[in-house]
Amino acid sequence: MTSPASPSAPSEFRQELEIASDATLLQQVRTAVGAFVDRTPLPPGERNKVVLAVDEAVANIIEHGYEDAPDGWIRIDLCCRPDALSICIRDQGKRFDPSRVVDPDIETHVRQGKNHGLGIFLMRTIMDVVDYNFEHEAENRLTLIKYFKGASDGGAET
Amino acid sequence: MAELKLEVSDGPSGTIIIDAAGHLDAHTFEQMEKQINALFESEKYKIIAKLDKLEYISSAGCGVFIQFVQEAQENDGNLVLLNATQNVVEVFDLLGLSSLFPMASSMDEAVGLFE
Repeated sequence: MTSPASPSAPSEFRQELEIASDATLLQQVRTAVGAFVDRTPLPPGERNKVVLAVDEAVANIIEHGYEDAPDGWIRIDLCCRPDALSICIRDQGKRFDPSRVVDPDIETHVRQGKNHGLGIFLMRTIMDVVDYNFEHEAENRLTLIKYFKGASDGGAET
Repeated sequence: MAELKLEVSDGPSGTIIIDAAGHLDAHTFEQMEKQINALFESEKYKIIAKLDKLEYISSAGCGVFIQFVQEAQENDGNLVLLNATQNVVEVFDLLGLSSLFPMASSMDEAVGLFE
């Protein structure tokens, strides 16, 4: 599933993961992302939250992008930059722009017993940037960025 | 492969304990969903979800509890979360659910939430 981490610059390192669109593989993704995050300057308290954000994104792609068909692919590019952890998740499932999804009212959600629609809210709550693009009319590209504390573009812990 | 193991037993004062271990995520949430559905079909609405061995929960897992808590309360029961791990509490906090869900740190406290 993974390629070895390789440095592209002294203060930057990357790793690429690829999985099939199979929900049984979510744990493997979480383990790999957690191990990568452990090597970044993010404090330990942020690790599980970032893992959760990626898990939510990948789970959404599997369920909504590929409609639970296990024959699609999902590529996760992890990059530790000097200022931030950047995670780019690509797939060729159905086009889906998360920015079109409104944050839920949680109390209403509970009152109505709604069991879906919270993943994107979690991503936005945890990450500093959640950016979507549809590339070359064929590929969804979701970028999640978490700035390190003190970075000029953000750096506030959530 | 991440697994979810559920053990169901009778609890105090007519409650049912679902002891959950492992990961409650987009792959495993249906197990919990089916289990609670089965209890509701047997008109058992006083449920204690014991979560001290639940290592991970995602929104899919939280969604299962959201789905059933209202119905449990409408049938004079409840869905109480007992001894949730720090990871689980953190996710509930992120979603703003901690103030909306009955949570307990002891069995006595959990049972008391049904009164």
